[in-house]
Amino acid sequence: MKAQQDEVNDLVKAGYEHGFVSNVASDTLPPGLDEDTIRFISAKKNEPEWMLDYRLKAYHHWLEMEEPDWAHLRYDPIDFQAISYFSAPKKASDGPQSLDEVDPELLATYEKLGIPLEEQKALAGVAVDAVFDSVSVATTFRQQLADVGVIFCSISEAVHEHPELVREHLGSVVPHTDNYFAALNAAVFSDGTFVYIPEGVSCPMELSTYFRINEAKTGQFERTLIVADKGSFVSYLEGCTAPMRDENQLHAAVVELIAMEDAKIKYSTVQNWYPGDENGVGGIYNFVTKRGDCRGDRSHISWTQVETGSAITWKYPSCILRGDDSVGEFYSVAVTRGHQQADTGTKMYHMGKNTHSTIVSKGISAAHGQNAYRGLVRMGIKAENARNHTQCDSLLIGDQCGAHTFPYIEVRNPSAKVEHEATTSKISEDQLFYCRQRGLKEEDAVSMIVNGFCKEVFNELPMEFAVEARKLLNITLEGAVG
Amino acid sequence: MNASGSNWVLDLLSRDSMPAPVDWVQALRRQASDQAATLPQPRRKLETWRYSRVETLLKASFTPVVQAPDISGQVVPAGISPYKLVFVDGWYSESLSHTDGLPPEIRIGSLREHLDQDSVRKQLGQLANAGENLFTALNTALLNDGLFLEIPDGLVLQDPVEVFYLNSAADTPQLAQPRNLILVGKQASLTLVEHYLPGQGRGYFHNGITELQLDAGSRLSHYRVQDEASTAWHLSQLYLEQDSGSYYHGITLSFGAHWARTEYKTGFRATDARCDLRGLYLVGDGQLSDFHLDVHHDRPACQSREQFKGLLHGKGRAVFDGRILVEQIAQGTDAQLTNDNLLLTRDAEVDTKPQLEIYADDVKCSHGTTVGQLDPQQLFYLRTRGIEKKQAVHMLCEGYAGEIIDHLHLPSLREQATDRMRQALERI
Amino acid sequence: MLSINNLHVNVDGKEILKGLNLEIGRGEVHAIMGPNGSGKSTLSYVLAGREGYEVTAGEILFEGRNLLDMSPEERAWAGIFLAMQYPVELPGVNNMNFLRESLNAIRKARGEEELDAVAFMKLVREKAATVELDDKLLKRSVNAGFSGGEKKRNEILQMAMLEPKLAILDETDSGLDIDALRIVAEGVNLLRSPERSIIMITHYQRLLDYIEPDFVHVLADGRIIRSGGKELALALEEKGYAWVLEEDAA
Repeated sequence: MKAQQDEVNDLVKAGYEHGFVSNVASDTLPPGLDEDTIRFISAKKNEPEWMLDYRLKAYHHWLEMEEPDWAHLRYDPIDFQAISYFSAPKKASDGPQSLDEVDPELLATYEKLGIPLEEQKALAGVAVDAVFDSVSVATTFRQQLADVGVIFCSISEAVHEHPELVREHLGSVVPHTDNYFAALNAAVFSDGTFVYIPEGVSCPMELSTYFRINEAKTGQFERTLIVADKGSFVSYLEGCTAPMRDENQLHAAVVELIAMEDAKIKYSTVQNWYPGDENGVGGIYNFVTKRGDCRGDRSHISWTQVETGSAITWKYPSCILRGDDSVGEFYSVAVTRGHQQADTGTKMYHMGKNTHSTIVSKGISAAHGQNAYRGLVRMGIKAENARNHTQCDSLLIGDQCGAHTFPYIEVRNPSAKVEHEATTSKISEDQLFYCRQRGLKEEDAVSMIVNGFCKEVFNELPMEFAVEARKLLNITLEGAVG
Repeated sequence: MNASGSNWVLDLLSRDSMPAPVDWVQALRRQASDQAATLPQPRRKLETWRYSRVETLLKASFTPVVQAPDISGQVVPAGISPYKLVFVDGWYSESLSHTDGLPPEIRIGSLREHLDQDSVRKQLGQLANAGENLFTALNTALLNDGLFLEIPDGLVLQDPVEVFYLNSAADTPQLAQPRNLILVGKQASLTLVEHYLPGQGRGYFHNGITELQLDAGSRLSHYRVQDEASTAWHLSQLYLEQDSGSYYHGITLSFGAHWARTEYKTGFRATDARCDLRGLYLVGDGQLSDFHLDVHHDRPACQSREQFKGLLHGKGRAVFDGRILVEQIAQGTDAQLTNDNLLLTRDAEVDTKPQLEIYADDVKCSHGTTVGQLDPQQLFYLRTRGIEKKQAVHMLCEGYAGEIIDHLHLPSLREQATDRMRQALERI
Repeated sequence: MLSINNLHVNVDGKEILKGLNLEIGRGEVHAIMGPNGSGKSTLSYVLAGREGYEVTAGEILFEGRNLLDMSPEERAWAGIFLAMQYPVELPGVNNMNFLRESLNAIRKARGEEELDAVAFMKLVREKAATVELDDKLLKRSVNAGFSGGEKKRNEILQMAMLEPKLAILDETDSGLDIDALRIVAEGVNLLRSPERSIIMITHYQRLLDYIEPDFVHVLADGRIIRSGGKELALALEEKGYAWVLEEDAA
């Protein structure tokens, strides 16, 4: 028991590896939110009238809404007027044309984070649309993608260059009325990524975006829209780290995925934002709305997430299985330690015939961490022969943490079949002793057992991401033995 | 008070009711009416009422039965035990009951007649806090009668005690509110069987509350068969607290009523107690069955099992909401919950929500849920063996429900339950 | 190489070992037999350093070092291996990876180079063949879903890989059919060497037909009450434990 206790204490103290602040001058809007803020953002981005209208409509709707309180989370109220809604790194000209023009300090920051921005790293097959604070600063491999007709650019750019696509799809999966944080995002979203994969094209490389929050009191309101046309395929990677901060930072992103007939979208996330210090001070508030629409028959959307960061995580990547024979998947590892709290899971709306969904959720709670799985499986009246299988496992490390499971299952079709299983366990003393008897140090034993616990989810990540996820998990559990 | 307006419950609570037989009960009632005013109105937006359509219940209107009703013409089924107690509209009917031959140390009968007992005064309302919800407040505010049962330490009663809840015919829909208090002494053991039947009643609302205390080492097998009128509303709230080494073995079979909801709220007073909750629900056209479990592990090393199975046909609807809460202190908890649902027809609907909330690490907790239809492979297999489809369906359903019914340790009750289930299946 | 002097051990406040003495020399094979509840498994866990076993008196020296000051992994690094009666399952942890991590941790502690993937694979295949362990089991999670025999063979494979100086086989024969027992015993016999000592803990004489011990000890009520050669085991088989227990009492 003592070893377990030490381990818990050390987990609490394990430092945050990515805790540094880069020194880049910013062009930041003072805190506060009103119509003028929105007009400013829109003007700054030189947006067309329809975009401004959309933002204003969302803003007025948001004013009417109430902040949700149903999640298993405790945090101080967020003062939305104390947040600055726009910041952009200073630029030499209107925008960097190549890497050479990018602020070297910025590049150094990415370097520290191991982001493969440089050519040789990109050769590994990763094209990067890096978002530093709120504005895209560099994009690589545009040409190679353009050759096959893939559009991969910032959403601001897309508004100008592909207005018809953006107008058609933006808000079509997550409407501005969807929820409190999605409405806020629709009103003030700063930038983000737009991807369009044309019919029949399999995207030749993994697409990835690294998000980074770097400005004190700056909320990040990313907007991602991915449209996979008929028979196309894309794998998109999202990874996040953030510098050490004392003040809570709000992040309210919206991600919309649209898969047409026979298209497949694989969306993977490694989220490692600053979780706050050992007393629970600081850390990112992460309120994200992610939803995929399997619009066409036989379409397939797969979400994989590894959530190790943030003080608060509120996130339910979902699938609307509209097309017949469409497939939705959700694979998740969520780790909470220190005073972190996570309320995460998924929603699977089965609407079409023969739709299938799989949910695998692995929650790990250590120290004072609270980890909740919240999921909905809805079998609609027309979901003939739909299937869902859900497996939720919780692992508790120490006796101060909590693991919770809140599944909602709604069945309106008798031919549908739903299976849900949940277990809760701890790392047993037998397992630890066995590993140590074979010569493994206790912390290595813990990390090995935890990695084993998460294996099903890691297997779903693209190779290089899986390696990163394992590393991240080991760092998170570092110092398990004093 | 909530702004969403008035309903018959609030109307009743605001009125002066008939005075209670004793002062302390009057005080308890008054306190409940006062508390009711501050409680949130049951409505869909509240998580606990998310799926159960309580709004229609609140839109109806019911008249409380404020004195012992006319029992002429009431027929009490034969039963399986020599001891039976009968309640009509929640009021004890001595003339319909048979308690001769029970050991004299057992205190049993009308709660109203036992209000002078110290144990009643001490325990009534201890578990069922009127501040908890509107229906508990309503039952307490108009508290008149119900079952009182106190088994002294060490007494083991072999024969079961059987209780029948009937309703009288009335022009307006009536509100029956039995208030039961069951105290099982140390090392005592009892089997209690409760039947909820229409009697002559139609369209009534049964709003019952049972408080159960199990002392150390005691055992209570508590079997409940809800077979109310198809136009009736039924709400049962069971509040249970167990001392060390006690064993509660609870089974509820839910067949009847237009709208039926059973809530179990269980807790432990000490370690090493065991609580088994099982249920079977069979619902068809125009019926809703709802089970809510709130199993609170707040002491170390207790065990609980929750197993609920549903058969749905016609336009039947079922709701299951099972929550296991394990507090930090409750190390060594072993809690396993399952809920299975079989949809036999096109229009049946089910909403299920098993929940685990766990704050201790040395625990064995799990839940499993399934929703599906009969396995076509199994059906096919039976048919290739010459069994016609309808019969095959019945066989499979019986096998499925048997996993609950087989836990009833009274063979005659098992038979009754199986017959009742067959009857219902015949109608599909 | 191993010297246990007047060892007293409490488990949950109850004294299980009550002054145990045992000397084991290099290359010797000792069998420890005894009735249920005599303290056999306690002895093996105390030697391997499991928590929850409170040593109230006595000492254990391993190659002159005080074993009781060492953590379980330090003991493993020093060359102590415990083949468990009930090998633990590690869901999701790949058997091969586990072996490799374990082997390299021990090699590192011994100041040896870590084995590269190719050399490791070669070694593991070779050793697995000697205990007739299916390659497929190497790719599965450690012991998860293994049969009783497969678990025991996996233990012997680990032992073959880790090359301990002192191997403790705790009821290795329990739950094995005769074929599995033969395979496991052959695996152990292959590992007998002048450099390696073995302690076999067993309830039955059966195992000793396959692995011949140099010494046999009877453990009863927390002490060794009789020691002898392999003929002692045969006498036990014939007359049962009651015979020694009575003599000890007399």
